[in-house]
Amino acid sequence: MVRVNSHDPERQEVVTRRTMLLGGGFSVLMAGIAGRLYQLQILDHRKYVDLAQENQFNRRILTPLRGEIIDRFGNVLASNRKNFRLLFIPEQARDVDAALDKISQIVPINQDKRARIMREIRRRGTFTPIQIEDNLSWREFSKLNFELPHLAGILPDVGETRDYPFSEASAFVIGYVGAVTESDLDAEENDADRVLLRQPGFKIGRDGLERTYEKELRGAAGEMSVKVNAHGRVIEEIRNNAMPPVQGKTLALTIDAELQETATNELKDESAAAVVMDAVTGDILVLASTPAFNPNDFNVGINPTLWKSLNQSPYKPLLNKPISGVYPPGSTFKIISAIAAQQSGVRPNHTAHCTGKVWYGNRFFHCWKRGGHGTLNMKGALKHSCDVYFYEIAKQLEIDILGDVARKFGLGQTYELGISGQQRGVVPDRAWKRNYFAGSPENQPWFQGETLSCIIGQGYVSSTPLQLAVMTARIATGRAVRPRLVRAVGDLVSPTPEAPLIDIDEKYMDVVRAGMNAVTNEGGTAARSRLEDPAWQLAGKTGTSQVYQITAEDRARGLAKPEDLPWERRDHALFVSYMPYENPRYVCSVVIEHGIGGSRAAGPKAREIMRAVAAKNPASRPAIDPRSLVQRPMSTRKKG
Amino acid sequence: MSSLILPGRQRGLRDRLARLHWPLIILLTMIAGAGVITLYSVAEGSWQPWALRHGTRYLAALAIMIVTGLIAIRYWMALAYPIYFIALVALIAVPFFGEINMGARRWIEFAGVQFQPSEAMKIGLILGLARYYHGLRAEQVSHLLYLIPPALMIGAPVGLIFMQPDLGTALLLAATGIIVIFVAGLSWRIGFAGVVGGISAAYGAYRFDLLQDYQVRRITNFLDPDRDPLGQGYHLLQSKIALGSGGLDGQGYMQGAQSQLKFLPEMQTDFIFTIFGEEFGFVGAVGLLLLYLAVILTGLSIAMASKSHFSRLAVIGIVVTFALYVLINTGMVMGLAPVVGVPLPLVSYGGTVMLTIMAGFGIVMSAHVHRDQDAYRSGDIL
Repeated sequence: MVRVNSHDPERQEVVTRRTMLLGGGFSVLMAGIAGRLYQLQILDHRKYVDLAQENQFNRRILTPLRGEIIDRFGNVLASNRKNFRLLFIPEQARDVDAALDKISQIVPINQDKRARIMREIRRRGTFTPIQIEDNLSWREFSKLNFELPHLAGILPDVGETRDYPFSEASAFVIGYVGAVTESDLDAEENDADRVLLRQPGFKIGRDGLERTYEKELRGAAGEMSVKVNAHGRVIEEIRNNAMPPVQGKTLALTIDAELQETATNELKDESAAAVVMDAVTGDILVLASTPAFNPNDFNVGINPTLWKSLNQSPYKPLLNKPISGVYPPGSTFKIISAIAAQQSGVRPNHTAHCTGKVWYGNRFFHCWKRGGHGTLNMKGALKHSCDVYFYEIAKQLEIDILGDVARKFGLGQTYELGISGQQRGVVPDRAWKRNYFAGSPENQPWFQGETLSCIIGQGYVSSTPLQLAVMTARIATGRAVRPRLVRAVGDLVSPTPEAPLIDIDEKYMDVVRAGMNAVTNEGGTAARSRLEDPAWQLAGKTGTSQVYQITAEDRARGLAKPEDLPWERRDHALFVSYMPYENPRYVCSVVIEHGIGGSRAAGPKAREIMRAVAAKNPASRPAIDPRSLVQRPMSTRKKG
Repeated sequence: MSSLILPGRQRGLRDRLARLHWPLIILLTMIAGAGVITLYSVAEGSWQPWALRHGTRYLAALAIMIVTGLIAIRYWMALAYPIYFIALVALIAVPFFGEINMGARRWIEFAGVQFQPSEAMKIGLILGLARYYHGLRAEQVSHLLYLIPPALMIGAPVGLIFMQPDLGTALLLAATGIIVIFVAGLSWRIGFAGVVGGISAAYGAYRFDLLQDYQVRRITNFLDPDRDPLGQGYHLLQSKIALGSGGLDGQGYMQGAQSQLKFLPEMQTDFIFTIFGEEFGFVGAVGLLLLYLAVILTGLSIAMASKSHFSRLAVIGIVVTFALYVLINTGMVMGLAPVVGVPLPLVSYGGTVMLTIMAGFGIVMSAHVHRDQDAYRSGDIL
């Protein structure tokens, strides 16, 4: 075998040539790579920096605290409290189902809730936190925190929720907040606010002042950049360029929360309404309605069973009775009737003889007192609430004058309160009847017999407890007082305008005032409701408005007394009052649904409420200056 | 006696150590060092889990390289065919005994050690081809009959690896083999015809669904990465963002926002150049490229200075493999080449590739140390 050396110059030459070619080729390719680097890192540098920023920074909306609602002395009616929530980040839990099973050992998750959670995961992606439960108890919350290492994807979180320390007592004034709906989003014109509404767990005013003053209470969203990683997980909060959120404005009310609570307690066993007003300024001190719902139940998202029971209750716990409840004013309307009578020339010393009934047209009109009152003048008729006296006047009285006076005293109209649901009630006159019955077969001219019903506050006449309070304030002061509920929005205090005098002869009103004084203090229909303190002499007027007329058949069946009737057919009990008689400051109207008698049911309640008002005399105390609240830390204001 | 027969002088150990190509060792160590610091950064400033192991693996691989380099090149020539055949047998065994990893069967376990026959084949094929052309005369190289053995030598492992499926390695292997044949002196005409045929074959494979879905997707995404920003192309886009935001001098060591925030996939392996480029900028990235170019050119000069034909071709094969790794990986992270999963040599984390590369450079080193020794055309050692 010949051992041939591999040396072969020709071969070597080719290899050398081609190796150099190869080296050149690699150099060129390397240069190409470097050129590409130059393009990416130098020429397009800015573009990629911007893209990197977009990658890394997300805008996070900072939800503002909702403005507080406080009463006239600074007691908190609505504030924010910590809400312990359980959030869940599906991305961090490898097995969502297993994770939910584990969580449900601490916080129950039923089938519906699980379905909702899964739906939300599909819709919002796996790295957005999803709320599993809120308003957890401290016990549950601490347990979750304790189990945290074993529960993947769990994020216990402390949010804010609305808190109503006076619960039922303030329900109708304050209203409540609820979850944002699609229609809320559609209605929102401001883009920034729409973003805010989309924040998880954001609540919006649903009723009462919470709804009316939504814009003011909401506040302004803040903003913060957060650095996120590729999974969207927040790595860092960039605080130095953050724009803090601005808390909503504080709403300062005219309400006296303490008296509101007293009144609500006073009425708690009834289906009733009470209004207490400052007769001079029109400040509403009490706007009580019973029974009421607890607005704290609504924040959380009310449970359907509770909602159903509230809705179906005959005591209408969802109805704001002081402004939305419409009742025939009954004999309290005689305040108006007595003025209207004098307007049309009836002198206060005009007398009438009451035998218990009057024949007019084709039927008898009965006085409430069987057997009659005998002979009475106007003051006596008010004191004893004689119906016959007013029937006699009504025979001659022009209904339009009655309507005119009623409107002057504030009936048949609504006021700027800031809460919706106010009813106008009815102040009947010829024009009203024409309009009301237009196009119906009952469209007939006014009958004088109808005036007989109206003059004692029955028939077409209807009013709300608030209107009755306004009426009483106007008769007491002689001024066209207008009620108000909101004293200040933020640091903007609305001035108290001096109410103009009512265009009615002062002498006429004096007659009525004397009559009202006699009702309580001279052995009238509400003698039981007098206040003993001479400094707080209470003048009032009872009313009993008929809901159902006891028929001859009823009597034949032995149904003579109203107590024999089922609750919903019993008469409403009303009482309006003011004090002190000499220098009026406070008015109070009370309506007890189906309470049967104004003097028996409504009067004593009003007396107790007024006793509390007299004891506190809120008008003598300086109300809180909302401007002083701006810098004040929230924690120092607690339920008082 | 033996010195008369052997071509060239047999050297003592001390002499051979002195003849080691120290600049090449320094260049490789610098590159591996870049890998260590980058891996330290990727782990958010930690030696674990990658940086420390990368460093120790490099040192072990360096020792293997030096030992390989001290062994006379003619021994490697004698082992060329055996190594090739062992690698081929292992490749054939993979489908039967291989471990499935990431949807592909690439690994086999032998005597308790996991290894990738495709890696061994990278060396085996180069040695085999160099050995083959060592025995041919210049005029035989372009003779079609003599092209059949090398075509089979390349085709068999490429086909096997392609079926694993590992498109990247298969292409790399094919390209290396073709370049070695070309450097060995294949006529331009045949070379050109071969390239045209190869492209037609690739197109045919694509048309007749011979490619796996993910391979097709990689190619289509490479052509238009904006098509699916959260899928495959997303990685490429993120990589470009990271490199681009690096700018001239980078965001600073361990300050690369894209990488630190995990926007990048496979940061410790395939996309490590992106992190390097983001943190050290254009200056740093080009610096690293220059190191690689220096290694490549040094390797090629060693090849040209070698006396034996086997040495020349083996060294060129090793250097070509190395260069292709660098070009494909850097091109890939910048959107110039498909995302095929090729690591950046000595910088990417991964023991097998490191071992392959360093063993290859051991051959280069051996060629350099024994550059003035020729070998018999038959390949006999003695």
